[in-house]
Amino acid sequence: MTLALVLHDWRILERIVGLTHRLGCSYRSVEVHARDDDCYDARIEFAGSHDALRRLDAQLNRLLDDDKEMCQ
Amino acid sequence: MSDPGASTGAQLILDVLADEGVGTVFGYPGGAIMPLYDALYGHSIRHILTRHEQGASFAAGGFARATGKVGVCFATSGPGATNLVTGLLDAQMDSVPVVAITGQVRTPLMGTDAFQEADVTSITGSATKRSVCVRDVAQLERTLRAAFRLARGPRPGAVLVDVPQDVLKAASARFNPLAPRRRTQPTLKADDDSLDATIDLICEARRPVAIVGGGARSAGATHLFREFCALLELPHTATINGLGCAEPGDSRFLGMVGMHGWKAANLAVNEADLVLAFGMRFDDRVTGRPDRFARGATIVHADVDASEFGKVISPRVALRGDLRYTLAQLAQRLARMESRPSFAAWGREAKALGGPPPPDRTPNGELAATSVLDRFFAHAPEDAIVSTDVGQHQMWAAQRQRASHPRNFLTSAGLGAMGFGLPAAIGAQFGFPARSVTAIVGDGGFQMSIAELATIARYELPVKILLIDNRRLGMVRQWQELFYERRYSATDLSDNPDFVAIARGYGIGGESVAETASLDAAIVRMLASDGPALLHCACYPEENVWPLIPAGTSVGEMIEARPFDDAVPA
Repeated sequence: MTLALVLHDWRILERIVGLTHRLGCSYRSVEVHARDDDCYDARIEFAGSHDALRRLDAQLNRLLDDDKEMCQ
Repeated sequence: MSDPGASTGAQLILDVLADEGVGTVFGYPGGAIMPLYDALYGHSIRHILTRHEQGASFAAGGFARATGKVGVCFATSGPGATNLVTGLLDAQMDSVPVVAITGQVRTPLMGTDAFQEADVTSITGSATKRSVCVRDVAQLERTLRAAFRLARGPRPGAVLVDVPQDVLKAASARFNPLAPRRRTQPTLKADDDSLDATIDLICEARRPVAIVGGGARSAGATHLFREFCALLELPHTATINGLGCAEPGDSRFLGMVGMHGWKAANLAVNEADLVLAFGMRFDDRVTGRPDRFARGATIVHADVDASEFGKVISPRVALRGDLRYTLAQLAQRLARMESRPSFAAWGREAKALGGPPPPDRTPNGELAATSVLDRFFAHAPEDAIVSTDVGQHQMWAAQRQRASHPRNFLTSAGLGAMGFGLPAAIGAQFGFPARSVTAIVGDGGFQMSIAELATIARYELPVKILLIDNRRLGMVRQWQELFYERRYSATDLSDNPDFVAIARGYGIGGESVAETASLDAAIVRMLASDGPALLHCACYPEENVWPLIPAGTSVGEMIEARPFDDAVPA
């Protein structure tokens, strides 16, 4: 599963790492680039079982919603 | 000393808190956070000094659970902040709005392993919705506003804001009370197709059951849930966090569902062909083995948090949105129908599957904790707020409570944090100074927060403490009895102290009761006392919580009540 994510606060990467590990998933690749608007583009390729990746995707959405709210 | 003419980061924090409606904060001072405590001196915000930072975070959670407002706690850097963690995770897991503000060492010292330095944002990252350190005083107000917004919802939770000492001291722009700030969150609305699909499923169902969870409490949707059930004559149950969302006297209410739930609730869910889940998250204590949970049922799941859909149980229909909107829309659709279904007959059948758990019998007339709780709830005022600690007494209380409002029964449900009961009651009492507030605690959990008796005494809080003392860590002991061949490892507390004497040492009156015959009068005396009071109940040590669905099993493996050790004649 490859996700293109917008990080409003780059420190949220730490939470993504923790959540990925907690759900029994891992990474194939992680790329993060600073944008011009104080946000970051992240492209992360996750590995794991279908169920775990589905849960991870849902929880990442929640995490990133909170990240966006916190930075407004 | 602060210069009263200058504005600092610390002053700004208090001004923002006041503007966000915060009147009371719970906390414990220390080195790094001293500028904030200095600003508190003489400020209109009332600071409640607990005796441990964990007590402050639990009290903030208790305040928030009881009032629905954001609870706030303060702690200093390092150990002060780490001591908050359990209370924050408790709030986060039960979707309770709490904002913690912690002092941090000065920014030049951060990362040097300075005295009382801890990487608090990392430590609390997974215990909160968000945990941020503010290194620039210019970002302080914006961050605090966002913290309150995030804590409030749509799904509430815990947020931590860590502020280095130099940021607390830094000159800041004076707080502008006229600046636009509170942003109204748009109501999340479930989509029409999903609402229509739910109505279709209800019309096709023969044995539907509704389960309500803490999400209905957070959304303020209690009355709408009750109206929805009434429209359909729908049998319904509640998770432990949803207790009080259902009217306890409603003939269609089947009691609490889950591991120690009422037999009728669990059997009805097991036999249901449609489960309507409102604001609950299919916790393992509710479902047991997920693949055996309500196997014959279609699941409709309504929640404000999309990440809950399919996390444990995959629903046929997911209704993402504010529960007030979802329930109102469902009720509107039902009300428009010329002939809407009624499940009254099924409701009676479901109710007949089992009644509330009876009080236990004990050998030699020893006091049964279940009798204590039955009698307590019989005497407690209807609008009483009750907090519990965690363990057997928590389950016995949850089975027996009569809360008519979900903010009247406060318990650490998701995290199951011992030590919660007493400080949560303190927080609730500050929220409602004139209401009856009782902490029901066990002898294990009480000793984890016993120092908070000093907080009760100092502020002359009329908190009542109902102590179920079975001289054991009872829930663990029960599992050792049932699942570990009675190998009672580290669960004996038979050397407990004299709790009444300890309470008296703090200036709190108390008495002890060990016989059923003396019970009612003692409970009445406790509840009638003007100030704080402790009722110590010396209970039979081997009483168990029934019924029990062992972890990882299903309703089919439910163990029902049985006599103690075969010593009591049937």
